Amino acid sequence: MNCQKFETIVSDLARGQMMAAEQRGEALAHSDACEDCAMRLHDEEMLTRGLQSLGAKMDSLEAPAAVEANLLMAFRARRAVVPAPVRRPSHSVYWLAAVAAMLLIAISVFVFRRNARPADDPRQAAKQEEPQSKPKVVDQSTPQFAKDLTVPDDNELVPQRPKPRRIHPASQRRPANPQLANHVTNEIATDFIPLSYLSTAGLQDGGQIVRVQLPRSALANFGLPVNMDRYNEKVKADVLFGVDGTARAIRFVQ
Amino acid sequence: MTGGLNWLMNLKNDLSDTELLRSMLAGDEEALTILYRRRQAGIYRFAMQMSGSKPIAEDVTQEVFLFLMREGHVFDPARGSVSAFLFGVARNLVLRRLRVEQLLAPLGDDSDEDGPMLQAAGDLCPLEDLTRAETIESVRKAVLSLPAKYREVVVLCELQDVSYGETAEILGCAIGTVRSRLHRARALLLAKLRPAGEFEEAGSATVKSARCFA
Repeated sequence: MNCQKFETIVSDLARGQMMAAEQRGEALAHSDACEDCAMRLHDEEMLTRGLQSLGAKMDSLEAPAAVEANLLMAFRARRAVVPAPVRRPSHSVYWLAAVAAMLLIAISVFVFRRNARPADDPRQAAKQEEPQSKPKVVDQSTPQFAKDLTVPDDNELVPQRPKPRRIHPASQRRPANPQLANHVTNEIATDFIPLSYLSTAGLQDGGQIVRVQLPRSALANFGLPVNMDRYNEKVKADVLFGVDGTARAIRFVQ
Repeated sequence: MTGGLNWLMNLKNDLSDTELLRSMLAGDEEALTILYRRRQAGIYRFAMQMSGSKPIAEDVTQEVFLFLMREGHVFDPARGSVSAFLFGVARNLVLRRLRVEQLLAPLGDDSDEDGPMLQAAGDLCPLEDLTRAETIESVRKAVLSLPAKYREVVVLCELQDVSYGETAEILGCAIGTVRSRLHRARALLLAKLRPAGEFEEAGSATVKSARCFA
């Protein structure tokens, strides 16, 4: 072994690091023969001893107890504040939720339609077969429209809907015939004026409406103003006949 | 009841660092306590030997374990031990702190970089009796005066008795780099600890060694 090789291992030799016994023996033999390498080894050994002493002296050092207390406080605070990690639902959960929502919507629609449809049970069917008073408009002044409005026979008097239809002013009705619609929507009608002592509620019992033409002086009989310039002209009116055939109310149409 | 708790504590004392870390991250306070008591001294000493400052050592020790609470899940057992992980964190914190406080420069200014660190009492060479209290202090100052990359290998390998392999894990370098840095660091320490006269003699000894190679 020469000095250069000795220099590469002198630290490990002084530090007592593991090395091959043969290499150690050669190094020690070289240091015995070479004064400079012996001094170099001596210095390294002294340095090692000094570092070991320093390490031993500081070996008893520990962090103050306050550090541990601070850490535990921080740990408890963190545990109290930070919630448990939230598990994100997987995609399958989203799909399940979507399917459930769709099922709910489908069931809702089905139930809604079933309730809206006329009942199939016999009691409801019997109710539907009962003759109900449905007012029908017969415009005698305009026969072509009366054909659309008037039901020809009694069978057609049977209402198609379970609920009785309320009598609306001509201006508010919605006829199916577009021509009639134009005709009706262009009319202005007064409220029904009772012809007898029937209350207004009695007018809801149903009946038949017949369009008639009356002398304009008839307006005065019901307390309505009369245009004297058109005194000779006739005025249209709807007469409501009850189921017993008596005229119950009248309204004037313009 | 107390006996049961002690038994449980003793049982946890047998757990490895990795298992304790896992328990701690799950909210186990005892695991934190055990892990802290097991590792705090080494971290504190490392920070103290690296910085030479007690307040920095305290702060760093606390920060290391706070980091472990916050970011402990980043620890990968496949990459090294919990101890190496903690030393690595401590090293980064110390170096950052030293950069901020610029403590490296004052340490260099305090001492004569090229001359001996501390003359021992009388004419006694520090290398002659490095076990004495005064000379231990001179060694401590010499270590503190080393550049950071040499100081950390001396602190880890010489003062903390960490193996070359684990030091390489902590520093994130090869074992060969650790060995070469340690060799260079020891040479620097010897140069700092030699008296001026002997320093020159050591220089001539180097020349003699060069002759010896021939």
